[in-house]
Amino acid sequence: MTSTLRQTGIALQMVFRTTMREIGLILAFVVLFPLAFLFFLGAIVQPGLRTQVVVGAVMMETALLNVNVLAQSMGADKESKQYDLWVSLPVSPIVYVTALAVSLLPFSLLSAVLTIGVGVLAFGVTIPLAVVPVLFLGFLLVWASTLGIGFAIGVFGRTPRQINQVAQFVGIVMTFFAPVFYPVSFLPLPLRAIAYAWPITWGTVLLTGLLSSNATSVLEATVVLTAFAVASLVFIGRGIRWREV
Amino acid sequence: MVGLVSPLPHGTPVLEARGVRRVFAHRGPVGGETVANDNLDLTVHAGEVVALLGPNGAGKSTFLRQVAGQLLPSAGTIRVAGVDIVAHPVEAKQFLSVIPQECEPIRELTAAEQVRYFGAIKGIPRAELESRVEGILHDVGLWDQKDKIVRELSGGFKRRVLIAIAMAAGSPRLLLLDEPTTGLDPEARRQVWQLIRDLRRRGLGILLTTHYIEEAELLADRVVVISGGRFIVQGTVDEIRGRLPYRGRLIVLGADRLRPEAAEELKALERRWTVSLREPATVWFEVSDPFNPETVGVLARLTSLGVMASLRPVSLEDAYLSVVAPSEALA
Repeated sequence: MTSTLRQTGIALQMVFRTTMREIGLILAFVVLFPLAFLFFLGAIVQPGLRTQVVVGAVMMETALLNVNVLAQSMGADKESKQYDLWVSLPVSPIVYVTALAVSLLPFSLLSAVLTIGVGVLAFGVTIPLAVVPVLFLGFLLVWASTLGIGFAIGVFGRTPRQINQVAQFVGIVMTFFAPVFYPVSFLPLPLRAIAYAWPITWGTVLLTGLLSSNATSVLEATVVLTAFAVASLVFIGRGIRWREV
Repeated sequence: MVGLVSPLPHGTPVLEARGVRRVFAHRGPVGGETVANDNLDLTVHAGEVVALLGPNGAGKSTFLRQVAGQLLPSAGTIRVAGVDIVAHPVEAKQFLSVIPQECEPIRELTAAEQVRYFGAIKGIPRAELESRVEGILHDVGLWDQKDKIVRELSGGFKRRVLIAIAMAAGSPRLLLLDEPTTGLDPEARRQVWQLIRDLRRRGLGILLTTHYIEEAELLADRVVVISGGRFIVQGTVDEIRGRLPYRGRLIVLGADRLRPEAAEELKALERRWTVSLREPATVWFEVSDPFNPETVGVLARLTSLGVMASLRPVSLEDAYLSVVAPSEALA
């Protein structure tokens, strides 16, 4: 356990330094992503749903980015054969996956903060100050609960192209078919059952629950997201297809 | 020596593969399975280079991936420095360094950064890390390039970065190199060869695959020929060359433009020696010993008759082709 933590720390430093060498593009993304949601807030969304849209945007910046970055980074590593290098190292797959995912987490959080800031300052979305620290814990839980999806796409994809295609498809599903930008009650009943199978839906329940001080929703979502996060870590830790079987 | 530490005494087994087999099941309605390799036995010792030769699709990379713990064998055992790679992958990989085929180092990091990070991940103690990294960078000739971002380096230097990463391990015993010089220019290839010789001298066991027969001939203490997923020949370069029924070749060029007395001489030779190749302008004779006085005398006589002829001993390539593709071997 100590060894895994130490290795993860070193791998994280390595990937983060790599990321910092491409910082321009990433920062542009961090700034542009929240601005894109101004369109929803300003042009389309009725005032009563503005909080929901802010939550949706934050979900995109934590969950969607996490899944896409993780899967596509693994695709790029497969292309350059660095993936084979990692598999041959004396490390658990958790070291590799965590390093890839955590290296972009600060930027996801920065983007989420910008989105909330735009929502509060420009569109009158109200967020109780006391909720802000808990909100960050919520972001982290959402992020951890989606690790397994990104890992599964990256590790099961046979080619970088296939991995990119699946990651983009999942992104579309997450954006439009999970009730992220609209309340889950908008969905017909059969689709609600499917929606609740996604951690993203529960992430939305958690964040909206926090913003509206709905303790029951927060508790439910926390339990479910924790289960998703633990399942993700177990799945990754078992290294299914990390070694080809 | 600073960079590479704790190799075992020469001759200690660092890889023991026994009865290794891999079967791929086909999906879909037709089903069935492909046996990628079967019943592979191989031992590599510390201070030894073993070259795995074989045609495309013979199973070289599959075997290397099995040894590296990237692909599980369907049957058999693989022990790296005495540790079973299937049952205890993390422990076995402590003793293993791998350079996968066509692998690129991380383009955005410097050579020194990569060696430092991978070395730390692979268990080099923090107190030794800087001195080990410095030693390794000197050993592989990267010291002057250590602070350059890898994407700015040439192909040869990138390959050195990978070798440096492979050397940066806590307790290296076995180095796996999958086609280490493919795509390199002749100078860079020779530099990589020199590095491999240095690593062997320092006690690392090295298993490499290659398509360059001369690479195996120059580097390998032992050569293993794989075809159809089975090891068909194992031995030293001399032992494998010795499998051929002849030891050399007399090569005659311009055979279609000979003077009458030279043509007669050639016809007489054809009655005595086996012809392994006959084309309008070229004839190859198999000779039992290219250095014995009689053979050298024949060469002198032909030359005196104005025939363009030469003698050469059999190469590993001749022996390799005779076992892998007899029709190409002209034997």
